[in-house]
Amino acid sequence: MMSAVDLLNLVIAALLLAGVYAAMSVGMIIVYGVMKIVNLAHAGFLMLGAYFVYELYARFSIDPLLGVLLAFPVFFFIGLGVHWILIRRIPSSDQPTLTSLLLLFGLWLVLQNLGYLIWGNADRAILTPRTLYVLQIGPISFPAVRLIVFGAAVASIGGLELVLHKTWFGRAVRALMQNSDAGRIVGVNVEKTARIAFGMGIAFAGAAGGLLAMLYSFSPDFGGSFLLRAFVIIVLGGLESFAGVAIGALILALAETFSILVLPASYQPAIAFSLLVLALVVLPEGVAGLWNKRHRLA
Amino acid sequence: MAPILSVDRVTKYFAGLAALKEVSFELRQGGIYGLIGPNGAGKTTLLTIVAGALRPTAGSVIFQDRRLSGAKSFRAVRAGIVRTHQIPRPFRALSVLANISVGSRFGLHAQRSPSGTHDERRILEWVGLAHLADAPAATLSVGDQKRLELARALAARPKLLLCDEVCSGLTESETLSVLRLLREIQQAGTTILYVEHNLKAIMSVCDHVIVMNYGRKLAEGSPQAMQNDPAVIEAYIGRTAGT
Amino acid sequence: MKGGLNSVSSRSKFAAALAPFFLVAILALLPLLEPGSETIRLLFVTFVWVTVSVAWNLLGGFGGQVSFGFAVFYGLGAYAAALSLNRGISPILSFLLAGTVAVLASLLVGLPTFRLKGPYFAIATIGASEAVRVVMTNVSITGGASGYRIMETGTFDQLQHFYTALALAVIAVAISMLVQRSKFGLALIAIREDEEAASDLGVNPFRAKLLAHALAAALTGAAGGVYARYAAFIHPQGVFAFSVGVAILLMPIIGGVGTLWGPVIGAVVYGLVHEELIASFPQLHLLLYGSLLILIIFFEPGGVMGLLEKSFRVFAHTRRLSGSHPQR
Repeated sequence: MMSAVDLLNLVIAALLLAGVYAAMSVGMIIVYGVMKIVNLAHAGFLMLGAYFVYELYARFSIDPLLGVLLAFPVFFFIGLGVHWILIRRIPSSDQPTLTSLLLLFGLWLVLQNLGYLIWGNADRAILTPRTLYVLQIGPISFPAVRLIVFGAAVASIGGLELVLHKTWFGRAVRALMQNSDAGRIVGVNVEKTARIAFGMGIAFAGAAGGLLAMLYSFSPDFGGSFLLRAFVIIVLGGLESFAGVAIGALILALAETFSILVLPASYQPAIAFSLLVLALVVLPEGVAGLWNKRHRLA
Repeated sequence: MAPILSVDRVTKYFAGLAALKEVSFELRQGGIYGLIGPNGAGKTTLLTIVAGALRPTAGSVIFQDRRLSGAKSFRAVRAGIVRTHQIPRPFRALSVLANISVGSRFGLHAQRSPSGTHDERRILEWVGLAHLADAPAATLSVGDQKRLELARALAARPKLLLCDEVCSGLTESETLSVLRLLREIQQAGTTILYVEHNLKAIMSVCDHVIVMNYGRKLAEGSPQAMQNDPAVIEAYIGRTAGT
Repeated sequence: MKGGLNSVSSRSKFAAALAPFFLVAILALLPLLEPGSETIRLLFVTFVWVTVSVAWNLLGGFGGQVSFGFAVFYGLGAYAAALSLNRGISPILSFLLAGTVAVLASLLVGLPTFRLKGPYFAIATIGASEAVRVVMTNVSITGGASGYRIMETGTFDQLQHFYTALALAVIAVAISMLVQRSKFGLALIAIREDEEAASDLGVNPFRAKLLAHALAAALTGAAGGVYARYAAFIHPQGVFAFSVGVAILLMPIIGGVGTLWGPVIGAVVYGLVHEELIASFPQLHLLLYGSLLILIIFFEPGGVMGLLEKSFRVFAHTRRLSGSHPQR
């Protein structure tokens, strides 16, 4: 039987993981909520973010946390660029279209290959003095790096909440996420908002990738399992609020953390997938209601 | 005689907002019923519920003595209720004839034989699209798309046809021919529930009119009675003055 | 829909209908020319690709439901057939078993997702792909990451595999032809164009999608089995590879998604080009396929068939203009 301390350690570990998972999904949610596009290339940008922070650390000795901070503006502009070249040509619709899915999938393939070309397929990791440091508070042990990453994740989500509630852009995004036609009528500039939303989505992908790189080793096919996790979180938690994201992230993190007791860690994508199927089977009405546009009144 | 459709205290909430509040009315077989009301009154929501594509939060819809489950519209079609859409939704990659054949092959008493049967050709002529039978639906004008909507719905052999603004966006003469069509459909035995903004059209073709406002049924009666009803007038004028 | 073809004479139409039979006959008789085992192998692989490409198109092309996870069916079919063959079960039964296992897997993904509006199905297929690969890499009964070997009695007869794959490809195309002309095919296309409107006319989208998915899975699983028997050795990184899933969807898109012959053309092009590509530019194939996907989606979503149709229309138009072809 497991002791209470061990249980507590596991729960805390899950909590810390949930924070990172939440930050990781936020990018996808913004893009989907505003543009109704499932950004499959999100995985590719997670990967690029990881390498970005890695390179800054390996070549210029820039602290990974600072690297994550820098990732925000850099990837924001990358996102604007990608939107200008590719995304704005996708015909808009209230459902993810064949076109958008295939297009972004193609982009993901291209990004993966770029990764292989530049960095090869060897695993990389970011190792700093912090990586091994463990904080002891009473009987609970916190790996320092996980604590820091959790803090950074929460801070960035907090920053996002601020933006969403205090800026004109944030209000526009929230309006479009609820109902894009109504938003248009009220005067929201959909094209501009979409462009900035996409930029923000990629910014979060890059930064989150950097955060993940501080915890895991990575290679160019890094993003795939996280893509699935982001989606599971969205399905579990919904699009309504970031409280939903937090809940979804927590459920997934708990499931994965406790599954290590019975299964090898490499089975985790299977855990995420099973959770996805379970969620879809158990909550079909509720989940469908979350993704659909609100039914308009006559 | 029992009514063909009975809407019983239907209520619909969307995340706390009431779109419909305890709407009740009955339709007798063979009539043309109009459903009117200012914007936002809940007409299309009601139509969607009767079409079986939306579940009411409370209340029920009873069609030919059987309660509709309201989960998926194809079940309602199999029972005999078919709708047209306010904004036409043609199957763009298919020809006009193929579009209609979807209705005839999946509707009530579904046909086994492929398109080009008498029924489909007849409907095409009736609706005035015979010359465009093989044209891709994507190339149709708006007016023709509305006719296609109607033709497709007819091909599914509805006992109750739900028309959602079939006349909006049409010219005067186009409107008249569609109204004539509706009367012919009624004469063939189909009951029609007709949602429309064009009040003249409604008044000219309907036997009985139901008026809605703010999600509730405001009044119902003959077209003349509704035209002179002070509450109805207030609802429309009040809205125009307010906006 | 194809207004241009109405002006083609009935003689050309007859020839067009007969052409596939000639093609199959030629392919069946090809071994008599003794083209060498390498060519036979290349053709074998192409037949397998044709099968999976046509299969994917049933759901993705006719039905409009994009699946990124057909490698799951291919791989599960391969393993099912391999396990079955090693127990002495006949090849035909093994292939049927492979197809059946794939169908069951398709239900696991389709049942929870097809009822819902939104991208659930597409994402679930990505997830299934990841999950199955990870599980198969770890499960030891089937050899785990080191792979699984098929031990069959009797000598290796390359031609037997050749004809098996050809037969499967022919079956796949025949099924595709039947579906396209049937009421079921009409339902799929209606669902693809506008699922809600289709339901509003009496089509049951859930059942149609499940059926199309199952049919496609069965063919793909059988193809995996046929391949496994030929290769006699399979491993998770091979049959469940991400690139297999990519290839399966790329082929019909290259050739012309939603058409009858598009997937066949795409499979042939891919089969021929892929080997060369891997040999010459081993590091670039994801980049090339990704860019190809993007370019096709932007410039010619109809793929090769789309290009052909456009040039045919231009050709027919110029013929009519020049007066060499009588007006209707």
